[in-house]
Amino acid sequence: MGPPSRETWAQRLGAFRASPSAFMAGPEGEDLGRDLLSELRSEKLSEQTKVSLLALSLEYPAQLWPDAAAAEAAATSLLDTLVLLPPRPSALRRPLLLAATTALAAGDALGPTSGASRRLLPLLLGLASGRDLGRGFGPASEQRPLQATACECLRELESCKPGLLGGYLGLLRSLLGQEGPVQPLSLLLALALRNTLVIQARARAGLQGLLVAGDTPAAGGPWNWTLAEDGDAHLQPQAPSWPAAEEEACGLAVLEPSPEEARELRAAVAQLLDTSYLLTPVAQAQLLWLLGWALRGLRGQPPVLFKPQLVRLLGTAQLTLLHAVLALKAAFGEALFTAQDEALLLRRLTLAAQHPALPLPAHLFYLHCLLNFPENWPLGPTGEETAPLLLGPRLCRGLLPSLLHDPSALLAHLHLLCLFCAEDEEKEEKGQDWCPQHYLGELLAGLRQRAALHGGPRALATLCFQASYLVVHCLATQPTVLTPLTHGLAQLYRARPALAPHFVDLLDRVGPELGEPLRAALRQEVVSRPGRDEALRWHLQILSKVADGKAPSATLGFLRAAAAHCSDWGLQQALLQVCRALLRAGVAEGLADLLQALARQLEDPDGRDHARLYYILLAHLAGPKLGVALGPSLAAPALTSSLVAENQGFAAVLMVQEAPAPMQLSVGPRRAAGPVPVLQLQVEVLEPLYSVELRFRVEGQLYGPLGAVHVPCLLPGRPCRPLHLPLRPRRPAPAQLAVRALFATPAGLTCHAHLPPLLVNFADLFLPFPQAPDGDNQGFFEELWDSCLPEGAESRLWCPLGPQGLEALVARHLEPFVVVAQPPTSYHVAIRLPPASRLLLRLEAAQGDGVPVALRTDDWAVLPMAGDYLRGLSAAV
Amino acid sequence: MAQRAVWLISHEPGTPLCGTVRFSRRYPTVEKRAKVFNGTSYVPIPEDGPFLKALFFELRLLDDDKDFVESRDSCSHINKTSVYGLLVGGGELWPVVAFLKNNMIYACVPLVEQTLSPRPPLISISGISQSFELLFGIQDFLHLGQKNETELNTKLNQLPDLLLQACPFGTLLDANLQNSLDSINFASVTHPQKQPAWKVGTYKGKPQVSVSITEKVKSMQYDKQDIADTWQVVGAVTCKCDLEGIMPNVTISLSLPTNGSPLQDILVHPCVTSLDSAILTSSSIDAMDDSAFSGPYKFPFTPPLESFNLCYYTSQVPVPPILGFYQMKEEEIQVKITVNLKLHESVKNNFEFCEARIPFYNRGPVTHVEYKVSFGQLEVFRERSLLIWIIGQKFPKSMEISLSGTVTFGAKSHEKQPFDEICIGGTAYLKLHFKILDYTLTGCYADQHSVQVFASGKPKISTHRKLISSDYYIWNSKAPAPITYGSLLLSLSSWTLNGHSRKDEISRSSKKPEENQGNTGQV
Repeated sequence: MGPPSRETWAQRLGAFRASPSAFMAGPEGEDLGRDLLSELRSEKLSEQTKVSLLALSLEYPAQLWPDAAAAEAAATSLLDTLVLLPPRPSALRRPLLLAATTALAAGDALGPTSGASRRLLPLLLGLASGRDLGRGFGPASEQRPLQATACECLRELESCKPGLLGGYLGLLRSLLGQEGPVQPLSLLLALALRNTLVIQARARAGLQGLLVAGDTPAAGGPWNWTLAEDGDAHLQPQAPSWPAAEEEACGLAVLEPSPEEARELRAAVAQLLDTSYLLTPVAQAQLLWLLGWALRGLRGQPPVLFKPQLVRLLGTAQLTLLHAVLALKAAFGEALFTAQDEALLLRRLTLAAQHPALPLPAHLFYLHCLLNFPENWPLGPTGEETAPLLLGPRLCRGLLPSLLHDPSALLAHLHLLCLFCAEDEEKEEKGQDWCPQHYLGELLAGLRQRAALHGGPRALATLCFQASYLVVHCLATQPTVLTPLTHGLAQLYRARPALAPHFVDLLDRVGPELGEPLRAALRQEVVSRPGRDEALRWHLQILSKVADGKAPSATLGFLRAAAAHCSDWGLQQALLQVCRALLRAGVAEGLADLLQALARQLEDPDGRDHARLYYILLAHLAGPKLGVALGPSLAAPALTSSLVAENQGFAAVLMVQEAPAPMQLSVGPRRAAGPVPVLQLQVEVLEPLYSVELRFRVEGQLYGPLGAVHVPCLLPGRPCRPLHLPLRPRRPAPAQLAVRALFATPAGLTCHAHLPPLLVNFADLFLPFPQAPDGDNQGFFEELWDSCLPEGAESRLWCPLGPQGLEALVARHLEPFVVVAQPPTSYHVAIRLPPASRLLLRLEAAQGDGVPVALRTDDWAVLPMAGDYLRGLSAAV
Repeated sequence: MAQRAVWLISHEPGTPLCGTVRFSRRYPTVEKRAKVFNGTSYVPIPEDGPFLKALFFELRLLDDDKDFVESRDSCSHINKTSVYGLLVGGGELWPVVAFLKNNMIYACVPLVEQTLSPRPPLISISGISQSFELLFGIQDFLHLGQKNETELNTKLNQLPDLLLQACPFGTLLDANLQNSLDSINFASVTHPQKQPAWKVGTYKGKPQVSVSITEKVKSMQYDKQDIADTWQVVGAVTCKCDLEGIMPNVTISLSLPTNGSPLQDILVHPCVTSLDSAILTSSSIDAMDDSAFSGPYKFPFTPPLESFNLCYYTSQVPVPPILGFYQMKEEEIQVKITVNLKLHESVKNNFEFCEARIPFYNRGPVTHVEYKVSFGQLEVFRERSLLIWIIGQKFPKSMEISLSGTVTFGAKSHEKQPFDEICIGGTAYLKLHFKILDYTLTGCYADQHSVQVFASGKPKISTHRKLISSDYYIWNSKAPAPITYGSLLLSLSSWTLNGHSRKDEISRSSKKPEENQGNTGQV
């Protein structure tokens, strides 16, 4: 395959431009960058074709040379091509310089270690200085344009690597003073100056004579990377240059140059400004932005230097120039613009915003500038669009909206009018010829009339609703505006129900000031119609948005009438949406009948199912629960199908959810009384819980089934009375209870949680014997004692006593069961163990460290547990 | 301040994509900076196809705006400038500066040197005004003398080379692309020092200066008690200075006759070196009084090579050149119309052309017209539902002419007849088109003595004047009409010309319009 010809290149470039990503992914993509570089040296291609190849490399270097190494190699190759050009005029030198610069800057290859950078930078600086670079750099006629191009290349590199030219400020100044091309050198110097000041300010360093040093690096000599590498000069998001924020806050540390440096700086800036009239308007604007930025952070640099330029600039209609003046205004405020100057600037801006000789996009931009005007002494909150104080209604008569405006122009002017209406109300200057509210009302009416046109473009309707939204946004507190707006919108709906989606959108976005009355008006508008209407789907869409608990009978009447005409699936679903909205709003009366009727009557089975579901929900769920069940789905809203989402919502609400335990349950003090042992439970909750039901299950068959404990409401931090859990032991034995809790959360979900098991101790089962009927406790005890044998068991054991002695031990553990007491040495204790056992203790003749205990029981199985219990008593103290 | 990318897209309704990208240019070094400056809010520039789609969606240029689409039609999606956010590739590309002009969409994306979230106000973005200038510059270049598709293509083919000159790295150096074109051609000339960047070479030849003043007059006339008529003159002074030397100095003075109307709202070309403060402050915002500055208006400047607009101005002349009324009444499928026009006596009665266009919107085609004109001829364009009353070169001696008639319409078919969102029901207008040569309404003029040239050789000086109508509407006084705030305000103030009905005013001055010789006819 021979080298591609001009035609094949044209085809290839065309295919690439059509979709770069697709081309690069294709078979030819990989070789494109390499081919392009080699073709530039081909003698068969014309210069024009080569220029088009270079143009491609200027736009898509990242696709052609995707990494730094490739970019470096490409830049090297481009420089080689440049050097090898024969010394006759050529159209390639300029684009080659641009391409090499682009490859380095866009490919992240620019830096002291890059060979191509080491070649390109001195070359550019040499060209920019107008030095004779000898062979290969063309005839004298090309020197001037190449000098300008070199300046542009250097400026781009300085933009991408601030500080790159920081060491050459003096040189650039002297070039500007000589015969160099004014515009490229001015812009380059201004940018390098700005960047140097910013870097030095960040590093808290002075200018260090940078403005006067004037070394030109020798060909091949080292480039001065000091500023570009040090001083944190890497490209980073800059603090907004607007408005004139505190310099410290926006990262521009205040630089304080020495008097000598300040003089030099002033001279440099004056030099740039004095020749600025030689620059094109857009370049002048850039210069002003750059110098404004440069001097903003400097102390002792009064901005009066700019003053001579201002009158000239204010007279023009050039957008960039006026914008640059506004930037200076923001940067320097009163230091540059007196109150009179500010007024004049504002008048010129007002004039420009309506001048018939200027195009609409410029008008709109100026209007934006008016509402964001950098006032010397702003009153309102920053960041909000307001009309400047000096901009009275008089000044803006020509800026008010008219139906003849384009949509964006109308909205921009309308915003201004709204601001005046808001102000007007504050001042309460009514009854004069200036009545903006009245005009606003007329304008909105005109917009609605246009929106009501059947078959009119959607843009007209959109504009009407955007205008209404803007008005509500600005004038939400003015009933004189909102009332007619509400009526007007309701009329608009009457005229063109197909705008329902716009109404729904508006209701979603406005506050209650308009939302409430508009809902009522729209509901009234819909329900007063017969159900048979070609706009039924729109009516149903509106109703599902506005139906609430108010006047449900009219709504239901409308729905009943409409149901007969809901022939297709979409209409039926829309109808059911309204029912759903009514369900949520808590409408019950009449709705059940309607749902039942729908469940029979609707043609579509899906519709019937839904109606039935809603009916069941209505019949079985209480109000709040119903609200939650029909509320926004708690499931992840990732699914687009409303039905699926809805069903997920039901499922979430109607099913019991497994949840982590939100409460702690513990056994409280014993309460030895009553016919059965009762466990006192103490509860602490972490979040509010409602309708709590605690369920218990005993491991094994030791106890009979335990009843559930119900608590209506548990709140964190609020103490709860102990809960009583009656135990029904089948055998007198300790046991472990598994506990589950069912409860409702504040969100309305029903949850289920497993709690840690509870232990029922042997002592928890103790009950006292009733009082001896005749008061003869001793006799009663002896009778019990004797009755234990022979079926039962008897034992003796040693119960160790702690330091507190027998009396305290008994008082603490056995008090309720003592039948006969002779403190502090002798106690007879009788314990009833449900269901039908007894445990009798004689604690007598206590000694220093223990007491001998004689015990009897009628149930031998109790004996080991009793022994463990007694032995553990002293440790339990 | 720089641009990340620029596009020109032709709008072709009815084609599958509704448009074609005719030109695009990306600036990768600026893109590199955008990535750093914008941080996490950075959204890359999309390829041409997705960009076109997203832009057309936002600008409502796709054919599919039948349904409500929230991201475009929501009431809170308010756009008050020509700057848009486009949904592309999962992010929102902002700010996109774009506007439609002559079926071409001009778009570019400026660099924002900070994070985009929250969005900074446009005024704080230096690249925004540059975007506008770049697009206006391209528009001027394409529009200048462009007649047909072939010429447009030629110019579009020149654009890559031109932008390589005017905007090599995305930072705009000169919005005047014609200047860049010249600079390519002038490249071999050795430049002397201190050559202005906006003047690429020097003129060699016979010195001559040409000054033309073009005034456009706009008007809105209602013939109603409570709504004042409005009119305004907008002037443009165009110069072409063929003078030798690098920086010749020229001063042009515009003068007014003693009863002339003061010039206001003066905007000058950037080449004007100084401005009298009276010129700077003379503005239509203030109420006029006798002390208003009335010239001469001096503009000292150093001219560029090409023809340029030295200044623009507005003026409030005391009366509109043609005062009229239009009455239209609907009667079932017919409308009855009456038009009366009167040329003010102070106005030069010598037109290059003068005609009144009477369109009927939102109706069917014209099937029948019966009419009577006191002067001129009536042309009927049935399918376009349009009447054109050709008045010609002169008004008759009475200075007043009339038209009355009945227009019958056929059944409406949406495709053919014009739709209009304003002319609903009885709301209707007629629009006057006229041009008068060697005349200005303000009286403003420049003559041989008005031009001072400080350069070698005595130049030949030529001056021209003309008045043309622009947006000159007379609304049906029998139905509501769209009004501007100015109309309401003026009608409330004492400064109104419209104290009584226009009909009385005109009829009183003309004896019997019916007796005038005129054409009647049936079409």
